[in-house]
Amino acid sequence: MKSRILRRVAESKFPMKAIQVKQPGGPEALELVELPVPEPKASEAVVKLAASGVNFIDVYQREGRYKVPLPFVLGQEGAGVITAVGTEVKSLKKGDRVAWTGVLGGYAEYAAVPADRLVAIPAGVTDSQAAAAMLQGMTAHYLCHDTYPLKRGETALVHAAAGGVGLLLVQMAHDIGARVLATVSTEEKAKLAREAGADEIIFYTKSDFEAETKRLTNGQGVHVVYDSVGKTTFEKGLNVLRPRGFMVLFGGSSGAVPPFDLIALSQKGSLYVTRPTLGHYIATREELMARSSAVFGMITSGKLKLRIEHTYALGEAQQAHRDLEGRKTTGKLLLMP
Amino acid sequence: MKAIRVSHIGGPEVLELVELAVPQPKPAEALVKVSVAGVNSIDSQFRDGRLRTPLPFIPGHEGTGVVTALGPQVKGVNIGDRVAWSGTLGSYADYVAASEEHLVPVPANISDEQAVAAMVHGLTAHYLVNDAHKLKGDETALVHAAGGGVGLLLVQMARAVGARVIGTASSDEKAQLAREAGADEVIVFTRTDFESEVTRLTGGKGVDVVYDGVGKATFEKNLNVMRRRGMLVIYGMSSGAVPPVDPAKLSEKGSLYMARTTLAHFTATRDELLARTSALFAMIAEGKLKLQIARKYSLADAVQAHRDMDARKFAGKLLLVP
Repeated sequence: MKSRILRRVAESKFPMKAIQVKQPGGPEALELVELPVPEPKASEAVVKLAASGVNFIDVYQREGRYKVPLPFVLGQEGAGVITAVGTEVKSLKKGDRVAWTGVLGGYAEYAAVPADRLVAIPAGVTDSQAAAAMLQGMTAHYLCHDTYPLKRGETALVHAAAGGVGLLLVQMAHDIGARVLATVSTEEKAKLAREAGADEIIFYTKSDFEAETKRLTNGQGVHVVYDSVGKTTFEKGLNVLRPRGFMVLFGGSSGAVPPFDLIALSQKGSLYVTRPTLGHYIATREELMARSSAVFGMITSGKLKLRIEHTYALGEAQQAHRDLEGRKTTGKLLLMP
Repeated sequence: MKAIRVSHIGGPEVLELVELAVPQPKPAEALVKVSVAGVNSIDSQFRDGRLRTPLPFIPGHEGTGVVTALGPQVKGVNIGDRVAWSGTLGSYADYVAASEEHLVPVPANISDEQAVAAMVHGLTAHYLVNDAHKLKGDETALVHAAGGGVGLLLVQMARAVGARVIGTASSDEKAQLAREAGADEVIVFTRTDFESEVTRLTGGKGVDVVYDGVGKATFEKNLNVMRRRGMLVIYGMSSGAVPPVDPAKLSEKGSLYMARTTLAHFTATRDELLARTSALFAMIAEGKLKLQIARKYSLADAVQAHRDMDARKFAGKLLLVP
């Protein structure tokens, strides 16, 4: 816990600690540096971070796979308390507890964030929960409520069901009343997916998920495939959809899906393909508010359990990335600046 | 009986008028005396080998007529019933043996010509607007080839649900037909770039859905005229096959959806087929759906019918009358 004196020092434009990338590279490219505490622009608020989420997109940006002008402070989501607001900011004030995603700069003690991207954190949700829920929670939410609005009685196949988004998606799909088939790699992950509400577990390392999904659906196939794995699962995913089913490709952890022939979609049953990203599902202020409220509501009512696996000090960011990339983790990793 | 036969694949000239024995219905089939057969682009594709079926064959996938004989397992239709069908090869003939499950009853207030026009084109327009993307009253749809066979029906159905319809057409004549069908805006794409025009007409927002039977020629620009999370429904590829698609493009252009649909998957069950045809026949009877019959040909003029269809000479439905 930081003293009040230290906070005052920081607010008076003294340096803050931050993780900066000067050159793309491995985890060692994450450098702990001192930077001036940012000043809010007219429409921004400065937030003192309590927790900041570690995500795969951070790894891609660190590696240079996703281009960001150098040097930059990493981090796509966070939660904390507002310490200053710009002149045009009306709806928020100093002292408000807020969270955000989709704005770079979360791996730091302070971040300047456009006010229209900040959402208030309700009383029943901790800073860590809020930071953990912004990207993955809202992703799971848009996938099963908007990209393909899953209905009670329908069947969904969720790949990487014990992953960050996977565990949340399984819970939400289960809550809707859908039947969830979950692919996982290990017994430990299977247990987590089952606890999250998966009806059937498929060990894709031991059995062919295509054959297994067909067997579990009596040859009928599923209404929707939620796929963040990409290259290694896409083709077979099309084979397990029922006619007029939806392939929702929302990531590519195994690599990018190569260009595919549209004929496959008609031959396999007038199928739909979409490749959504969170930004397009929280594009307006109204959507962001509605979605974050829904996710926070599920947390406070106990319907959505977040699995925060490990927290790290800001200076341990390199280790956090090593752990994430090692894929040994099954829950959320947070930096606590 | 008289029939058109294809013995080897090729141009319209391979359609040969021949005398054949009247077919015998199999156990689950009914024999139908054909009153009118529909001419569709799929018939050209089978004729020239783009689609394959064993040779020789009698072309033609849809028609209307009267049942004259029944296989022993047929339960749902009787001799003398007026019926229509699609999905049965062999309709360019005096008689066709059709699977019972393909036959739908034609109400007395629907003419033979209307019934045929309602089958492939009508069913296609119906599933596109009601199921492939369920169009809503506050949405905007882009309909390519809006003056074509499916297009003219699609425009009417889209207007019937209250949606704003932007059509594209290749000529002023077809544009005029699309307007008469209810299109709010029509872009003559041979003169005006449809991408910039749709962008302008939607105030830069883009359309909610694109219904595309064109394929290759329109694909790239389609991705640029949809709103965020918009839907591209490709139901045909008259200009050629779309090259393989990089899914990353769908996210870059706004988390878009894409479907490649075929009628069979939207009439897969008997219930679905009957529900769709009943809805269409009701719209026709109430005057809500105007059918554009472009031209009728005798069976012997099938070659000319295909020439006219391949040249896109007429807007609306072409029919053969055996």
